[in-house]
Amino acid sequence: MEQKGCCVWFTGLPCSGKTTVADLVAEELNKRDLRAERLDGDIVRQSLTRDLGFSKEDRNKNIERVTFVSKLLSRNGVAVLVSFVSPYRKARDHAREECTNFVEVFVDTPVEECEKRDVKGMYAKARAGEIKDFTGVDDPYEAPAKPELVLETVETTEEECCQQVIRKMEQLGLIPAAEPDAAEQGGEEGQVYSPEEEEKIQKRLEDLGYL
Amino acid sequence: MAFLKFRKGKKRVFVFSIDGVPFTFLKAQMEAGRFPHLRELAGQSAFSRMRSVYPTISSVAWSSYMTGKNPAKHGIFGFVDRQPGSAEVFIPTSLNMTSKTLWEILSEHGKQVVVMNVPVTYPPRSVNGLLVSGFLATNLKKATYPAEAAAELEAMGYRIDADAALARESLDRFLEDLHLTLEKRVEAMFHFMEHRPWDYFHVHIMGTDRINHFLWSHMERGDPRYAPRFLEYYDRIDKILGRLLERLSPEVNFILMSDHGFCTIKGEVNLSRYLIDQGLLKYRSTPPKGLSDIHPESRAFTLIPGRVYINLKGREPQGGVAPEDYERVREEVADKLMQFRLPDSAEPVIRKVFKREDIYSGEQLEDAADLFAIPHDGFDLKADARKETLVEHSALVGMHTYDDASILIRGSGAIRQDVEIIDLLPTVFSLMDVPLPADVDGRVAWE
Repeated sequence: MEQKGCCVWFTGLPCSGKTTVADLVAEELNKRDLRAERLDGDIVRQSLTRDLGFSKEDRNKNIERVTFVSKLLSRNGVAVLVSFVSPYRKARDHAREECTNFVEVFVDTPVEECEKRDVKGMYAKARAGEIKDFTGVDDPYEAPAKPELVLETVETTEEECCQQVIRKMEQLGLIPAAEPDAAEQGGEEGQVYSPEEEEKIQKRLEDLGYL
Repeated sequence: MAFLKFRKGKKRVFVFSIDGVPFTFLKAQMEAGRFPHLRELAGQSAFSRMRSVYPTISSVAWSSYMTGKNPAKHGIFGFVDRQPGSAEVFIPTSLNMTSKTLWEILSEHGKQVVVMNVPVTYPPRSVNGLLVSGFLATNLKKATYPAEAAAELEAMGYRIDADAALARESLDRFLEDLHLTLEKRVEAMFHFMEHRPWDYFHVHIMGTDRINHFLWSHMERGDPRYAPRFLEYYDRIDKILGRLLERLSPEVNFILMSDHGFCTIKGEVNLSRYLIDQGLLKYRSTPPKGLSDIHPESRAFTLIPGRVYINLKGREPQGGVAPEDYERVREEVADKLMQFRLPDSAEPVIRKVFKREDIYSGEQLEDAADLFAIPHDGFDLKADARKETLVEHSALVGMHTYDDASILIRGSGAIRQDVEIIDLLPTVFSLMDVPLPADVDGRVAWE
């Protein structure tokens, strides 16, 4: 089957694991020679939206521009992997309407765990009052109501989370499933059954009078 | 977690399929006071006969169910097939199915599916949910999508299939095995109903086909030992149906169905032997060694059940029939088939012979048999050219029939008299508000 354009939108608190998992998914898609692009909050803010701050208005503009780019990519057959806090449901719903084959992935990491990780020290600064309106501390995060996938990063490894996303994309028919390993299948390359399995199935069909 | 909440509201479909159960059997048993849960359900439903597919075997029938198409559009022509242009015979699997399935299309529309034990679902293709392969799987570890679900099933002691070989050793042990397999299937069904979100749930019971193959005639003639045990199995299915309906919301669209009917076998008729006796089929060796051993002077050969191939030059490895003679030879073979009588009998064996284009249309028409011999009820067509007898009797006492499958749709309006198994996909899609692909052959089941 052909790859279909889509927008896989990772949302969650700061330091929930969005970037980590999205990067792994992009790597897996690239390994399979599929078209994938990344739009990550930190990177986009250095280029496409470097003129924007963190007021509510600017955060909405940030998401609008990313949504626009995602729309263009997804409608042209690219799997665009977006990793943004994107705390407001309305903005994510708008992205769902605009993009082709929208897949919302809620990276559901409790705030206590996110704070423990605090990769850039932002939670500490927010707690110290140095940063205002920080999502998870003094600004709300509106969790998705019906995401296509929920990742629980506390109980699941990064690699397992990546595989859950890949599987969801396969299940939704957005990417072809990986070819099963011939060794796993039990047969030689291109064969469903090993000789022993084939004998078993033939006997089963003979017993039923179908052979 | 949000994604584990059950999807409430309408447009969910539950399919409970019971392989090979005739409409006339269910109707007669209900009229005799049996199957109270089915009786109650039938009182709220449209319930009628349904046509299967040709050839009338489960692999082809369920492939047509799951695609809404005739075999020339899905590529599954039997439990065994030959590679076009070769003498190599193989067992078709889900990898040979060239059409998307009902559950794959639902998955693409974001619907969540649970599919259990439907024939021709091995190896398991990916879905948005769970798929457990049917009896062409040999190893549970490789029989589920996602693969992790196999561990859940193993923990329950799940069984892919009952052991039909037992029926030839001991009917009592066979029946025990059928009951155990059913128990595990149902346990898994209730487990997944509770633990997996679903919009489409399909559980398939194969045991009914198994019990029908080996005990149908015992039931029909009222065998004092096995007729009660046959009916006991079906009583159990009815109780399971009752429990299932208690658990399902009345808003769920419920379908009960089978893929073909059954009748008592009068004899297993060897069509290869008939073709040999009529001078239409010859082998180079004695005993024959398979399709590669066919003599070029042969005009036709056959695969179970009743699929007849013209030994066409340029197509068959040992082909001897010139292309310009194809139609003439095809007519000749069809005539011979219609003339088929068993020794000392005036009773015709073959009810009808179809050309492939009479019943199939699609990209894979050229892969289909050239002719389809449809037997009268009671004559189960076989094809083992090594056997010299024309008619045999074995432990198999029941065979499939074409026009006595069952269809029940809860709360539905009247079902069309000409409804066929290919009509179920459009029906399910209509119930779930999912757009119908353009190349589907079936149409909704209602008037």
